Amino acid sequence: MSARPSGPLGDATTAALADDRGAAALAARGLSLAYDDRLVVDDLSIAVPPEAVTVIVGANACGKSTLLRGLARLLAPRTGTVLLDGHDIHRLPTREVATRLGLLPQQPIAPEGITVADLVARGRHPHQRWYRQWSATDEEAVEAALDATHLTELADRTVDELSGGQRQRVWIALTLAQGTGLMLLDEPTTFLDLAHQVEVLDLLAELNRRERRTIVLVLHDLALACRYAHHLVAMKDGAIVAEGDPAAVITPETVEAVFGLACRVISDPLTGTPLVLPIPAARRAPRDAPPAPSPVGNGAGGRAR
Amino acid sequence: MTAEAAPTAVVADPGGARAAAGRSLEPAGARRRRAPDGALVLRSPRLGASVRVPVRPLVVTVAVAATALLVFAWSLSVGDFPVAFGDVLASLVGRGSADSDFIVRTLRLPRGLAALTVGAALGISGAIFQRIARNPLASPDIVGVTAGATACAVLTIVVLDGTPSQVTWGALAGSTVTSVAIYLLSYRRGVTGYRLVLVGIGATAMLTSVTSFLMTRAEVYDAQRAMVWLTGSLNGRGWEQVRPLGWGLGVLVPIALVLGRDLRLLDLGDDAARGLGARVEGVRSGLLLIGVALAALAVSCAGPIVFVALVSPQIARRLVGGTGAALLSSAAAGAALLVASDLVARRLFAPTELPAGIVTALLGAPFLLWLLARADRVGSAG
Repeated sequence: MSARPSGPLGDATTAALADDRGAAALAARGLSLAYDDRLVVDDLSIAVPPEAVTVIVGANACGKSTLLRGLARLLAPRTGTVLLDGHDIHRLPTREVATRLGLLPQQPIAPEGITVADLVARGRHPHQRWYRQWSATDEEAVEAALDATHLTELADRTVDELSGGQRQRVWIALTLAQGTGLMLLDEPTTFLDLAHQVEVLDLLAELNRRERRTIVLVLHDLALACRYAHHLVAMKDGAIVAEGDPAAVITPETVEAVFGLACRVISDPLTGTPLVLPIPAARRAPRDAPPAPSPVGNGAGGRAR
Repeated sequence: MTAEAAPTAVVADPGGARAAAGRSLEPAGARRRRAPDGALVLRSPRLGASVRVPVRPLVVTVAVAATALLVFAWSLSVGDFPVAFGDVLASLVGRGSADSDFIVRTLRLPRGLAALTVGAALGISGAIFQRIARNPLASPDIVGVTAGATACAVLTIVVLDGTPSQVTWGALAGSTVTSVAIYLLSYRRGVTGYRLVLVGIGATAMLTSVTSFLMTRAEVYDAQRAMVWLTGSLNGRGWEQVRPLGWGLGVLVPIALVLGRDLRLLDLGDDAARGLGARVEGVRSGLLLIGVALAALAVSCAGPIVFVALVSPQIARRLVGGTGAALLSSAAAGAALLVASDLVARRLFAPTELPAGIVTALLGAPFLLWLLARADRVGSAG
């Protein structure tokens, strides 16, 4: 807990990270993405608001991770284009894209025995050439990324010996060291307990606030999504159902449509953002008519008793 | 919350922050700069250039390669007809007596070079497979390359009654055809190491039964010849076997080293590597192709010499430290292992010779078991 980011980032951090990036604009037009013959995202258009935190939510297998992979040029579109600063992202050299757009995939692999600093330093690869293998800028960016994620003291430890939350911070530090104005993160809070989820999201919010980085992330937890998103995108079956301010997007109707979940939406007493309260089945039963009378016994009657 | 106060101190003095963590990377008193992976960094601010010098891998690789060359030189000198070092050198520059010229240049030199090149090819091939499959057990021995060469070589011996040189070409053809087939069968939106290993295991099983079938149908004399080939031996290897392998190494290794620079990104998983700008499919396909080609050349030269491809990258990794088997150090380790194994095979029961494949297995198998036993303990400690 001692490492939870609570204060502002140091000026040196901001200076070191701000040098090699400008505001990049990311958008998709008529985007269709598929694995083999299975169409996952169909004719989708989106413009990522610059310098804001965009959160994509949706049920499992709705195509949100696929969309993120498509936006990060990991998946070639079946039709349509992804535009980075107005250029087709697949026509730009992949290494140049890597200097503008950083990605934290869902399950990256830490090589056995690698140290924290070594792993984070690999984020500098897009900036390196055969004649510029470890510049002073590389060094500063890595130090600043370690500092921003409160990992400086763990720099020489191996990643294997860290906790899940620390490990996730290492990967975020790698993406930070990459020094891109755009950061795409695929479920950065999965497998973390609530405290560590909040820690990671606070860190991202702070990066967005202090350094004006554009951040896009996929999240599962709706309450956290509403708290941290400036722009919320709700997806179902490979299409965007609703997007915009979380307060406008998250209504009982949208949640029902996107997740098939009956709920009430109240205002979060701490932040005023929407808070989704799922209605338990036991309370729902009297209102919903059973789909068909059961031939064996009376299940609904049994529950009512 | 010491982290609050850290920023300015960190940027001004990175070494100081390391020291605070209790384990400094810097040698005491020195102001040399190190990259996070421990490499020495040389910078020229005027040119805007910087170079990483991986000191430990470099020193280890040179030391292992020097060991291999020493054993190689020794192997030119010892044997049933010992040739003094001075005479070896004289023969090498073409000024020896007729006897020592024949022994050194016709018998021992091609054999020693075969040991060096086969070992190096197997070492680098094993390193490529292990890095790409992210599995220390992946090696050309289990992905079918060896089995294809073996089946074809035995076919050449048993059915076609081929000469040794024809057997070499038969093995090369067999491994090439098998490699291409395995590569195409495992191609699905690019080749992944995992799929390649599975397809290879299937192909190996099939080809091994073909080999067994041929052996049961063979005449006794042919079966014995095939058996010797099957154990892997460098006995009687001449220039016609060494030359193709030498050319192969000369062309393929530089390409592998260039492509291999992106391995440190591929180690992080495909998506992360792509996100960092690596051309994942190109690098992986290219490296796998090179790994398969080197293994094919090595097997056709010396027969299926087991464990060299499996163990060399592991030896190299443990000597070098760091996170993945480096290609060049694995090549050096493979060369050293095989040249030493061949010398042992020649001299242990002299004048009777053992096939080198037996010695590499005798040295390699216990080493593998030791590695596995040790990995368990290290794993639980970490």
